[in-house]
Amino acid sequence: MIEQSLVRNFAAPLRYCAAILIVTAALLLSLGLQEPFGNPSWFLFPAAILAITWFFGNRPGWLAVALSTLAVQYYFIPPLRTWALRPRDIPFIVSFVACEVVANRIVAWRIRTENALRESRDQLEVRVAERTADLKDANDALRKQMEEQSRTEEALEVARAELARVVRITTVGELAASIAHEVNQPLAAVVANADACVAWLTLKTPDLAEAQAAAMRAVEGATRASDVIVRIRTLISKGVPQKTKVDINDVINDTLTLTKEQVTRNNVSLSLQLDTDVPQVMGDRIQLQQVILNLVANAVEAMANVSGRDRILEIRSQREQDHGIRLSVQDAGVGISEELIPRLFEPFFTTRARGIGMGLAISRSIVEAHGGRLWVESRLNQGTVFQLTLPETEDVDT
Amino acid sequence: MKSADSIVLIVDDDAMVREGIQSLVRSIGLRVLSFASAAEFLSAKIPDVPKCLILDVRMPGQSGLDLHRQLMNSKVEIPTVFISGHGDIPMTVRAMKQGAMEFLTKPVRGQDLVDAVQNALERDRALRKERAEFESIRKRFESLTPRETEVLNLVVSGLLNKQIADELGMSELTVKTHRAHVMEKTKADSLASLVRMAERLKSYSHINK
Repeated sequence: MIEQSLVRNFAAPLRYCAAILIVTAALLLSLGLQEPFGNPSWFLFPAAILAITWFFGNRPGWLAVALSTLAVQYYFIPPLRTWALRPRDIPFIVSFVACEVVANRIVAWRIRTENALRESRDQLEVRVAERTADLKDANDALRKQMEEQSRTEEALEVARAELARVVRITTVGELAASIAHEVNQPLAAVVANADACVAWLTLKTPDLAEAQAAAMRAVEGATRASDVIVRIRTLISKGVPQKTKVDINDVINDTLTLTKEQVTRNNVSLSLQLDTDVPQVMGDRIQLQQVILNLVANAVEAMANVSGRDRILEIRSQREQDHGIRLSVQDAGVGISEELIPRLFEPFFTTRARGIGMGLAISRSIVEAHGGRLWVESRLNQGTVFQLTLPETEDVDT
Repeated sequence: MKSADSIVLIVDDDAMVREGIQSLVRSIGLRVLSFASAAEFLSAKIPDVPKCLILDVRMPGQSGLDLHRQLMNSKVEIPTVFISGHGDIPMTVRAMKQGAMEFLTKPVRGQDLVDAVQNALERDRALRKERAEFESIRKRFESLTPRETEVLNLVVSGLLNKQIADELGMSELTVKTHRAHVMEKTKADSLASLVRMAERLKSYSHINK
């Protein structure tokens, strides 16, 4: 409490010794000063009292008061070198006591303040600790929540990819006849060329050059057939979507290999206007192929019952003015009535007898997941155009 | 070689298939002309020799069936072997009704195709021969005078000279003279062959109406 001095870590005897030493120093200094200046310089004693009280507490302070009184009375108040107290000693005794009282008060106030400060600081620390703990809890909860959310999102992503794949398989299923043709055609070439090769070899004088040319065409045909199969296998394979740099024109051409027969069978003529200067985009090749496949299949289907005008399917790729690319698939089909347009991209919305109505919903979600947009404009009995934009690849991440 | 004078025409949009078939057909010593589309085929000059057509059913633009029908309608009769990726029954029926020689499914076995081509060429040779004969008969018959034609028709319907003379109001001798001219101009060596020729001409012009 008040007892406590500022130099708390000093043991009590040490503090008293310090008081004695300081008073002695003040006495010696005062005596020394008295020689040159002549005046009794006992003003150092109040300073010593103040300092002792300040640094070592009130008890050493009182000791200092006592010692100072004795010293002043003995050395400075005439008659000098006697211990007897006289009324004229009273003022300096009073002033010493006053000094001590004031110093005591100040020290007490200071210690109180200090204690209060310490207390409030301790309290603050406790509160901060509490708050920190609270915050940590909240943080943990949040992290857990985020982990959960990211797990949910991962699961969602997996589910979405799986759904996309299922729809893709459905689309591939719908194109089965077309795809079978695309495989059968090169196989026909293989058989014809292999037969020709054998025929040239079994002539009386075998024509090796012709046989070789035929054999090479057979190999080429087999390669083409296997390419188609690889393309389909990739299209229906399971896998996490992977974003790579993609040339959209390649994707379009790949897709058209699978739909060529479908296009031909429906007497549709294809108008390809691919800008060779389109920038690459960052995307999952298979998913983008799915989008185009879907749009092309829809366009061909839309023209299946059209008569009286040319069935033209126009596919165009171009550089988008500000950034990225724009792709449009336009048909001259029956068109879509205005009421139906807003519902086109809804899941399970279909105008076809077969078909699960997921194609456009998936397509839009794919395009949007790539940072692009997919939209439609249509006029009844004139045709429909689906357009999509995709952002350009940032060149930094090669 | 007997087949050197004939030609095989191929129309298929798939270059590799086309080249394979072309090579196969050339390997048996036949001349080949190949085309990537119906339009290309129609605008080509095709030599007037025995020929047959190998036609892909499914092609962009005009399909093989359409091309064949167009040829039939414009009386261009070429024995045609259809080849198709997957010949469903209605398509096959339609092709056969249109007068296709053969309908083969891709991939086509080489021997099947060669056989079909040989048959088709044989058929075309026969057709050409028949057409040529018919042409010459028609020419001979056209060289008859109206009077001779009248006599011919009555002879063919089985009347005797006497009956003809009564019918046409002329002497039996005149009928005999006309009749001799008819036999000479039509190069018929007997009454039977004259009747056959007349029947043939009638049935053809009937069909061609």
